[in-house]
Amino acid sequence: MDAVQLLLLAVLLFGVGAVASLLLNKLSRAARVTAGLIGAIASGVGLVAVVRAMIGSPSSLELSAPLPFGHFNLQMDGLSTLMVGLICALGLAVSIYSISYLAQYPNRNVGVLGFFTNLFMAMMLLVVTVANAFYFLIFWEMMTLASYFLVTFESEKQESIQAGYLYMLVAHAGTALIMLSFFVLYSSAGSFDFAAFRQGQLSPALRNLVFLLAFFGFGAKAGIAPLHIWLPRAHPAAPSPVSALLSGVMIKTALYGILRICVDILGASVLWWGLLVLFFGVLSAVLGVFFAVAERDIKRILAYSSVENVGIILLGIGTGMIGLAINLPAVALLGFLAALYHTLNHSFFKGLLFLGAGSLDYRLHTRNLNEMGGLGRLMPWTGLTFLVGALAISAIPPFNGFVSEWFTYQSFFAASRAEGDFIVRVVLPLCAVILSLVGALAVVVAIKMYGGAFTGPARSDRASQAKEVPGSMLTGMGILAIGCIALGIGAPLIAPYLANVVTDVLNVPALSVANGLSVYPIDTGVAVLSTPLIAILLLGLLAVPLIVVAIYGGYRAGRRVVADPWACGYGYSSQMSISASSFDRPIVGTFSWIYLLRSIAQKPWGTIAGWAKRSKDTVARAEPILESVIRQPTTRAVDYLGQHIQALQMGDIRMYCLYIVLTLIILLIAIFH
Amino acid sequence: MISVGMILIGLLQAFAILAIAPLFSGFSRVLRAKMHNRRGPSIFQNYRDLAKLMKRQEVVSRQAGWVFRITPFVTMAAMLLVATIIPIFTIQSPFGWVGDLILVVYLYALSRFFFSLSGLDTGNTFGGIGAKRELLISVLIEPVILLVLFVMALLAGSTNLGTISTKIASGQIPYYTSVWLGMLAFAFATFVEMGKLPFDLAEAEQELQEGPLAEFSGQSLALMKWGIYLKQIVLVSLFLAVFLPFGSAAMTSSGVPTLLAILLGALIFFLKVGIFYFVIAVLENAMARVRFLKASAATWAAMGAAILSFVFYLANV
Repeated sequence: MDAVQLLLLAVLLFGVGAVASLLLNKLSRAARVTAGLIGAIASGVGLVAVVRAMIGSPSSLELSAPLPFGHFNLQMDGLSTLMVGLICALGLAVSIYSISYLAQYPNRNVGVLGFFTNLFMAMMLLVVTVANAFYFLIFWEMMTLASYFLVTFESEKQESIQAGYLYMLVAHAGTALIMLSFFVLYSSAGSFDFAAFRQGQLSPALRNLVFLLAFFGFGAKAGIAPLHIWLPRAHPAAPSPVSALLSGVMIKTALYGILRICVDILGASVLWWGLLVLFFGVLSAVLGVFFAVAERDIKRILAYSSVENVGIILLGIGTGMIGLAINLPAVALLGFLAALYHTLNHSFFKGLLFLGAGSLDYRLHTRNLNEMGGLGRLMPWTGLTFLVGALAISAIPPFNGFVSEWFTYQSFFAASRAEGDFIVRVVLPLCAVILSLVGALAVVVAIKMYGGAFTGPARSDRASQAKEVPGSMLTGMGILAIGCIALGIGAPLIAPYLANVVTDVLNVPALSVANGLSVYPIDTGVAVLSTPLIAILLLGLLAVPLIVVAIYGGYRAGRRVVADPWACGYGYSSQMSISASSFDRPIVGTFSWIYLLRSIAQKPWGTIAGWAKRSKDTVARAEPILESVIRQPTTRAVDYLGQHIQALQMGDIRMYCLYIVLTLIILLIAIFH
Repeated sequence: MISVGMILIGLLQAFAILAIAPLFSGFSRVLRAKMHNRRGPSIFQNYRDLAKLMKRQEVVSRQAGWVFRITPFVTMAAMLLVATIIPIFTIQSPFGWVGDLILVVYLYALSRFFFSLSGLDTGNTFGGIGAKRELLISVLIEPVILLVLFVMALLAGSTNLGTISTKIASGQIPYYTSVWLGMLAFAFATFVEMGKLPFDLAEAEQELQEGPLAEFSGQSLALMKWGIYLKQIVLVSLFLAVFLPFGSAAMTSSGVPTLLAILLGALIFFLKVGIFYFVIAVLENAMARVRFLKASAATWAAMGAAILSFVFYLANV
């Protein structure tokens, strides 16, 4: 079988898993095991398809279409293959993980959850491989619906329902924009095939229009600020394995859409497109990371951090588009390479961290970091894998996050050196500064998560009695942790592959970015980076302090592990340790103008404050005010519209007949006009 | 590019500055004492302290996990790797084939990551406070460091530290206004990162840089203290490599400098470090302590200098 056939097999297997899980719904245990195992096998088949596509030539497959318009053709070119690989790698880990994880829902419809999860996976695979806009939209919509039911799975929680509603709203607003962009493209190409879109001739104004529609349409799904408002609500509301899929891969399908439409089909030949993408990249990265710092719900931290990382990916895409616009293939290659690398990396470490957060939730039944603490000793393997994820997301060398950020810096550097366009020379070094600020804050976020959950004293009873999670959950996290390390140390193998994907999409001659053990930004004179050597040297240099210790006779003097931490001579209490929400205070205080801190008079004192102004107690609370400003009017407007449009649906059959007749008359007039 | 000679030089310079780091720290203690009109400790006191601590029994908090155990080793290894990459005795980066200035900045982050986490790991209040303050300082300072280095890299056309050093030393990059401004901002950033007043009082426990040290004892404390001395001198050497690389050993046709040149380079380097420490000691002792949360006002000034440096670079002056 060639690659696309294998892919189709994987999609069918996901379908089988979905139906089987639904049929076994009454038998909770059988349902979750079936859904997980078939999901894992299907992901494995998908990964085989990826390997086939990588060693073979790009393959495509046309199926007889069930609908008259549009060819149902699947194809696996470089970009699609990469996306399939990313979806299946995460799908494998998540499927294995969820076998045990879902055991905590014995009286729930686990079979339904398995059904939608597998369906969701299948739809994502089809979205990134289908080469026809009409079917793309169908699969895109099915993906959105499947994920909606996953977000609202814990439907007894008001929070989940609200999150799902908001998600639906933003996702459909985005889909509407995508549809419009496809119709404009269709009007010039005369076909819904992506291949025909590429040939279509559009006037510059229409090209700009299509770009804007597609960028914001997909951007809503990708969670770029300020369209990110649904993301920090919807991703944490879902069960953790699903959150991992939502943040790890679903938002990547939107980035795939941006690359496919704006870069592959439209060609990105206009400078301001790239600058616009950079602007939203900066906005997302900065807002995402600042709000992540201030959160204390671990899954909301991770969701905000996804907004940040989408921003970093957009910085790469924007730089690449600028490179295309000012006709510098090297800059374009580096920018897109950095973006794709970070896309890949983010899937792995964000998936890993969401699964880690799920493991904490599984044992502690809380997502509040303030109620955790000290779990590094009780859940050592969860702690270790989470630490790998935390190091990767902080871009610590030699882990994978560092390599992609390094390429992002190098793409900025290459573009800044380009003589000619002054705006580019001004903007890109400033983007580098922003990236370093975001990087420093990402370290704070990672330390807050790991430190809050795994170090220090236990801050609740449940935290002090936690046990390690079952093996299947550890396996799922282990796969992703190994992936994070391999994608970092294996950079000299990964980078050339991604560079080929980029040159394949852009149709530019191949340029070399790696040789032997090192990677470089095309020109070795500019910089060289060798992650395998960094790993070897770091491990080797660990010998120096060890030798020093050995010279002094090892730990001959012994260790005493009895004492409480020093507390100025007073009795120690775990309340004295730094909790997660006090951890961010210096940063929230210093950058209070970003959080728009408000002083809120607390309840009993608020009333007293009226007549005794001095006796009031105020608290400063970091709240995502931007979201409230955008969200509340939008949801209110939709509610209002909905209620008024409901007037049409009055339940009188004679009125409905009138509607049909009216529609017919209007259509007749339209045709004969 | 990889030659045995350069590998040896890289390791040699890392070990040399590891060995000499406590001496410079002792030097600044002596200077401080003199300025306070005290007799002060011997310049070798830090070595004695380290040797004494190495023999002491370790007392570990019951809360501490394995992050706390490995931190002294990881931070020292990270700083040693940085010390092999920065051009210190030579004009070229000895381990330039491993990474560039971006790697150096992120290796600092590696050391900071474990340092801060170890402060939280013990459950000690002061450790946690030290950790969060250390991180705030890094958030404020890292963009300054990166912007200055980015501008210097743009002037040199490479992010390789050796190339930047070479071009500055040979006059291919003249001392433009932008270089002076960058030097000013970078010196300030180095000063802050070294844990000096007005932000920090490195001698006081419960303070920023030593905060996470509160629970360390015995051999771990010795390694942590040594690691901090090393970090300080590595920060200074990065400043010197980028802005004042004069006197470092130049390359010969064989790709490795002569032994005499390396020794001379080492001597000149230690002189420059001595002068830098002297200037820092004078500045530090002439300053009052400010409230920690006012630190951002001062770092904004540094950011301003760095941005001006960038603006002057754009204007080619």
